[in-house]
Amino acid sequence: MIDVRIGQLAQQLGVHRNTITNWIKSGKLKATATVGKRYLVEESEFRRFSQTLRIPERMVAAIVAPDLPAHPIDNAILTQPKSIQSEVRMSDKPIGSVMVVGGGIAGIQASLDLANSGYAVHLVERSAGIGGVMAQLDKTYPTNDCAM
Amino acid sequence: MSQNFEPVILGFLCNWCAYAGGDLAGVSRLQYPPNLRAVRVMCSGMVHPDLVMEAFQHGADGVILMG
Amino acid sequence: MVECGRHLNIQLHTLSEVIGFNGEAGNFNVTVKKHPRYIRPEKCIACGACAEKCPKKVPDEYNMGLSKRKAAYIKYAQSVPLKYAIDPEACIYLTRGKCRACEKFCPTGAIDFEEKEEIVQMAVGSVILAPGYTPFDPTGWDFYGYGRISDVVTSIQYERLLSAGGPYMGHVVRPSDEKEPRKVAWIQCVGSRNTNRCSNGYCSSVCCMYAIKQMLITAEHAKGQPVEQTVFYMDMRSPGKEFERYYESAKARGIRFLRSRPHTIEPGEGGNGVRMRYVTEAGELKEEEFDLAVLSVGLEPAKGSRQLAETFGIQLDNFGFAQSSNLSPVHSTRPGVFVTGAFQAPKAIPRSVTQASAAAAAAAEALHVVRGTLTREKSYPAERDVSGQAPRIGVFVCSCGINIAGVVDVKSVAEYARALPNVALVENNLFTCSADTQDMIAARVREHNLNRIVIAACTPRTHEPLFQDTLKEAGLNGYLVEMANIRNQNSWVHQREPEKATAKAKDQVRMAVAKAALADPLHKLTIQVVQKALVIGGGISGMTAALGMAEQGYPTVLLEKADRLGGNAWNLTSTAKGEAVRPWLEGLIEKVNQHEHIKVLTSATLKTAVGSVGSFVSEVEVDGQLQSITYGAAILATGARESRPDEYLYGQDPRVMTQLQMATRLMERPAEIAKLGSVAFIQCVGSRNEQRPYCSRICCTHTVKSAIRLKELNPRMNVYVLFRDLRTYGKREELYKKARDLGVLFIRYTLDSKPRVTSNGRGLTIACSDPILQMPLELSVDHLVLAAAVEPNPNHDLVALYKCGFNADGFLTEAHPKLRPVDMSVDGLFLCGMGNYPQPIEESLAQAQATVSRACVVLARKEMQLDAIKSAVTEKCDGCALCLDVCPYRALKLMEENGNGRPRRMIASDPALCKGCGLCAATCPKGGIYVHGFTLEQLKAQVVAALAANG
Repeated sequence: MIDVRIGQLAQQLGVHRNTITNWIKSGKLKATATVGKRYLVEESEFRRFSQTLRIPERMVAAIVAPDLPAHPIDNAILTQPKSIQSEVRMSDKPIGSVMVVGGGIAGIQASLDLANSGYAVHLVERSAGIGGVMAQLDKTYPTNDCAM
Repeated sequence: MSQNFEPVILGFLCNWCAYAGGDLAGVSRLQYPPNLRAVRVMCSGMVHPDLVMEAFQHGADGVILMG
Repeated sequence: MVECGRHLNIQLHTLSEVIGFNGEAGNFNVTVKKHPRYIRPEKCIACGACAEKCPKKVPDEYNMGLSKRKAAYIKYAQSVPLKYAIDPEACIYLTRGKCRACEKFCPTGAIDFEEKEEIVQMAVGSVILAPGYTPFDPTGWDFYGYGRISDVVTSIQYERLLSAGGPYMGHVVRPSDEKEPRKVAWIQCVGSRNTNRCSNGYCSSVCCMYAIKQMLITAEHAKGQPVEQTVFYMDMRSPGKEFERYYESAKARGIRFLRSRPHTIEPGEGGNGVRMRYVTEAGELKEEEFDLAVLSVGLEPAKGSRQLAETFGIQLDNFGFAQSSNLSPVHSTRPGVFVTGAFQAPKAIPRSVTQASAAAAAAAEALHVVRGTLTREKSYPAERDVSGQAPRIGVFVCSCGINIAGVVDVKSVAEYARALPNVALVENNLFTCSADTQDMIAARVREHNLNRIVIAACTPRTHEPLFQDTLKEAGLNGYLVEMANIRNQNSWVHQREPEKATAKAKDQVRMAVAKAALADPLHKLTIQVVQKALVIGGGISGMTAALGMAEQGYPTVLLEKADRLGGNAWNLTSTAKGEAVRPWLEGLIEKVNQHEHIKVLTSATLKTAVGSVGSFVSEVEVDGQLQSITYGAAILATGARESRPDEYLYGQDPRVMTQLQMATRLMERPAEIAKLGSVAFIQCVGSRNEQRPYCSRICCTHTVKSAIRLKELNPRMNVYVLFRDLRTYGKREELYKKARDLGVLFIRYTLDSKPRVTSNGRGLTIACSDPILQMPLELSVDHLVLAAAVEPNPNHDLVALYKCGFNADGFLTEAHPKLRPVDMSVDGLFLCGMGNYPQPIEESLAQAQATVSRACVVLARKEMQLDAIKSAVTEKCDGCALCLDVCPYRALKLMEENGNGRPRRMIASDPALCKGCGLCAATCPKGGIYVHGFTLEQLKAQVVAALAANG
């Protein structure tokens, strides 16, 4: 049994709260009303309903079992249309992207590490290209490697 | 040897340094004579002695290994 | 850098700044202002026509104003993204409404003067601030004459003078008359360690080393004619790994190091060169002329970092650097916002890189539950099987606008290619790399059933991945493409000889076709990653690393040889910033012991290690019992220890002790210590000498800290510090100043005139000489504290097990001292803490967190793909094992197998270790081993093709 709050579910799915209410009222999503704006939905019923709307599995899983950590490896979700990703906020879950301000050697290294371990990175740089001061250096000691 | 001798030089260029250097020369527009024919290798250490002999057999005037 | 520009999961926002920020850790909303570039990056092909035609010249900030650039510009030749931009403040059209020359000449129509500023909102989980630093600007300091005397330059300008890509193409000349300088002076600490003319009371940490580097490179540039080089300095600070040796090598090269600070720089005779007056150590006043003076300028917080701090709501310290604790060096004062690089404190490249990885780890820790939710991976159609098919090669010749076509006759090259064997299709494109041509190539592959592709364009080093991608999208194996580099290595370098260039281009295409015909589809090897970590060493570095891995959700085994965790930290009172160590340490141990993902093994040693990155197996001995563990990555935090001095009466007189012994007494019996009348410290005991030619890095700060503590306990106590160079780098300089203000006496000695210690019934007597007074001194003290060298714990066994390396001093070696400071030469192994080099708590912690980030890169995937360019053994191998010794990566093994009833010896190559260098292939006398993609046949075909025209 899932305890559904209209507002929260609307946010999770990226739709208007009235849409959720309409679904329930029209019987598309079978739910029993409890207190406040809360409903109880069978897990199997919610899964069936999700399939009719092609809601991605990851989102469904987050709603069905919100405390379960997301699988660290699976990168499938981004094949979904853009509107879904950007509008869906898994309210109590953090966002899987990091902003790095400054495109010098430190910013570049931080960006690469994050991007290579499963996070989307926004690298913000003031000038027209990254590289910072290190790109101005001729060589680096003690190996005298080229700084590029 | 005539004045306008145009040697053909075969070069084996390491992908990580000499070949990269060749690219940089291009970006910097450094001009050099067009007599070099470059073979890109992953390391100058991978050039088998047979390849050098092969080059001379087929008429290379010089072979340069850069890495 | 290039990797960063191409990465699918990194979005670059250049010419952008953050203007708004709200939300909380895990869920921030950032407002970014994107300034117009006026050149569409998707259309710009970096041909440079706009810059060539642009009539407006402005000083080039990249070359520090030593040369000019145009208003349409690219930051530098290797810039990422390699896209031009128009400087709105300089552009004639944008300032005065007329010109638009670039627009007319741009071959792709990329110029867009209508582009407007854009405001975008982004939702992110964490933020890392790395705005870097600004070199100190000595303009306005009239006594150095910078800006007034043309032969006074800053060190960063000098860096551009040295560079082959710089304004004089690496030919070092002085600005006034463009003559080669024969006598150059460096002045250290310009804008650092100075509270008089500027408020930079910190040491910039990097200038001593970059000055030495510049001098050694100058010496290299001026082969034949020697250059006289002099450094004017206060303390030479070379406390990094291999730095001291570098310093010694500079001295051995004849570079003159003068401990003096010239007061004023005057113009030289005739307006060329400089003249300066200084006082020698012996107190003599001297005047000397130099051809060029270089000001070693310090590091200041980046311009705009104050505003940045305001936008993000974080605190800065009194110098304007980001505030952070020494026990959590990358956390800013706001949760979810992390700071790194020179923004946190002045630091050199390796420390910046380390800290950047540490910040990445910290930023990821809070987000690991949503790892992979917003990242993308590309998917491709199934690969077509081309085995057994005769080669049908498609050749695409690129004009690159006029970059290639302007010199090479591309039409005739294309015509020529048509007649080459196996070629099924030839086309000439304006820009082969453009998105529409990519689609076109994919379509041609299908239409004409092509199974090999040759691209005659630019360099494979930048563009091969792009074309491999195109092939994969067209259902071909990515390794069936070959490139002929007719731009970087032809049209750009033979601009005056178009005919010969065209002939060369034909040869290049013929070579590429010959190789492509022999190309085989290659497949990346996939290995299963064991998503667990092993940490060796239970000091603060090891514990931090283990905790970091566990917090990211990876099961971790922590191995400690002693019977308790904590290591050296048990002996420390406080960090350089004064945070108490003991309660934090106890908390850390508690957390490690309690963590569900950490298994702590004390009194444990590693016995075996087999496998490679992603999949290691080891046996561990715990209390005489063997256990087997598997892991995908290992972090080595083996630590170091204080050495036992063998001089200054240590061990003979109980009043002589080491720093750690003193620290323990201060912690346990402060009242007793407070009663002492006088205490002396001697620095560099066992460091920076013949036996240990390295600086132990931490002792100067430690001593200064203890001296301050003594003075605070008893202000009337006489405290002396005998030192060689005082190396309180970075913000630690404040402690040095505080100690002097409290009345601690600092007396310098040299290696030739070491202090002599004698004992008598009442106390100890130290005889030394004061270099300022030029007089011998005799100090009577109650206690003598020796700053004993830090030496690494023995690493021989580990190094032998993992086949990794350590340096001559016994410290574990990193893969690259600048760019990969916490990776080891063996993939999947990482290092942190004092086993790498002596370092204070905050640096050890940063390294430990950095290893977490690096190890997570390995463990984040269930499977790992290895590059396909690997060695492969053939049937011809007879196991002679000649290749075994030449393999630099130890990827080859001799195997014995029983084929047909009789034993047969053969080489086996481990693809996880092989890097595809091919040393084995070149050594093998019988073609028993080769490298995929670079087989002997392929290379031979290229050689033959290259020389075919020659007959």
